[in-house]
Amino acid sequence: MPVIDVQNLTHVYLPGTPYEKKALDGVTLSVNQGEFLGVVGANGSGKSTMIQHFNGLLSPTAGKVTICGWDTAVKQHRNELWKKVGLVFQYPEQQLFEATVFDDVSYGPRNLGLSSPDIERRTIEALKKVGLEPDTVAGLSPICLSGGLRRRVAIAGVLAMKPEILVLDEPTAGLDPLGKEMILKLIKKLQQEDHITIVMVSHSIREIILLAGRVAVLEKGRLIAFGNIKEVLRQECFQALPGVMLPDYLQLIYTLAGRGKNVNTGIITLAEAELEIAKLLEEKNK
Amino acid sequence: MKQEKGLKLGQFVLGNSVIHQLDPRTKIIGCFIVIFSVLMNFKWYVILLNISIIIAAIFLSRVKIARVLRGLRKLKFLFLLSFIFQAVLTSGEPVFYLGGVSVTREGIDLGTSTIFRLLILYLGSSLLTMTTSPLKLASGIESLLSPLHYLKIPVSQFSILISTALRFIPTIIEEAEIITRAQRSRGAQFNSPHIFTRLKSFTAVLVPLLAASLQRASDLAAAMESRCYTGGSSRIRTGSLRFKEKDGLAIGLVSLAFVLSVVLI
Repeated sequence: MPVIDVQNLTHVYLPGTPYEKKALDGVTLSVNQGEFLGVVGANGSGKSTMIQHFNGLLSPTAGKVTICGWDTAVKQHRNELWKKVGLVFQYPEQQLFEATVFDDVSYGPRNLGLSSPDIERRTIEALKKVGLEPDTVAGLSPICLSGGLRRRVAIAGVLAMKPEILVLDEPTAGLDPLGKEMILKLIKKLQQEDHITIVMVSHSIREIILLAGRVAVLEKGRLIAFGNIKEVLRQECFQALPGVMLPDYLQLIYTLAGRGKNVNTGIITLAEAELEIAKLLEEKNK
Repeated sequence: MKQEKGLKLGQFVLGNSVIHQLDPRTKIIGCFIVIFSVLMNFKWYVILLNISIIIAAIFLSRVKIARVLRGLRKLKFLFLLSFIFQAVLTSGEPVFYLGGVSVTREGIDLGTSTIFRLLILYLGSSLLTMTTSPLKLASGIESLLSPLHYLKIPVSQFSILISTALRFIPTIIEEAEIITRAQRSRGAQFNSPHIFTRLKSFTAVLVPLLAASLQRASDLAAAMESRCYTGGSSRIRTGSLRFKEKDGLAIGLVSLAFVLSVVLI
């Protein structure tokens, strides 16, 4: 059974005013337990609107969203959904507010009404997960940390609530390459080891290729492609999207295939591309 | 959240009506004249005259009347309270007694006119902000205050203060919404029946909001200085304001109404 089930979701902002805007238009998709869904799309394509439906911050203008069997149109479900779905916003480090890292990470668990030993255990666990040493950082003020570390603290704050589903809105935006790598590894580990269902929004196709099993592509509020990453990558409508920057090696492979060369376009990693090209060169030398 | 259901109170709505086209100074002056006349004189015909001017202006501006009136719901307690206090605390000829307090005829009259004066204040100022873009509003204020320059009051700095403040209101509102959502998804109880829990939830929004605003202010200052902003009166605006026939007509009409209001005392 899918944990996220979206049927014909339409969302209109400020209906009935001059600023009315249709952000989502008839989107249908589903995510299974333990899956990793990547969400791609240009700015303003409705990605952020869609993921806010996943933890009940928005309710559908039309259509139906069911999360873990809960219909988000029901207000009571919507208000409780934060316990199941952890949402990491864009630039989450801007939401830190407590005096110490420990207090901030434990904010969610405290709201869950846990006992203090539980809160402490979860907070320390979450800090360790994001690669921070609890003994050294827990007592510090978040303001004296660097941007990358603050981002990790903010993610720890969401992880400490032990969500069943983790939704991340561009978690690597504005980080240095090392920081990006670290966050991506962490997310992948959460999926593989803790079996958390992950939905990740990203502008970088490379990141999505490396991590996601399935991918949803949004364009002006419509879902134009949804499915296995390999299949979506090969679709013309996806490649033709403005702003889609495929990794160089994929561009090369697709161009070769376009010229009628015998290459397998079903590849996704650089290593696979290398093999294909080596094969092609061998054939030529024969 | 309330904000996402509709436009903010008095938010500027782009338009091309006669009222939108008026010079911002005309609208500011007009708005003040109308408000002054009802504050100076609260006879029913003065109120009627001024309220019809505002209704005519709203009609001409093609702003949806429902949207203007919706903001009134937030002010209903203010209206109610001022009516009750006026009705109970004004001395005069008692009409009836309510639980040992006398309600006077004068009190009811005064209370009713207070409601209408508040209404005019609200309608006038929200029509002004709904039909004038923040930028124009700021340049209008600057131009109206410019005589103060001779009194060695730094008008241009004051005006840059106003325009930056106006400019960043929507940004801050947007940011507050995002932080509110982020904290809500971490379980902040903004609708908790316990007032303490609710207050604590709001600190979770206010602290990061304030921190971000201070950061932004210092970034903005650095960006302005790096583009040679030095303050003072050497700064000019693109597109200077100019009074047109329409403005003359509008000011004339409103002034006529003002004279009538004052003469009719």
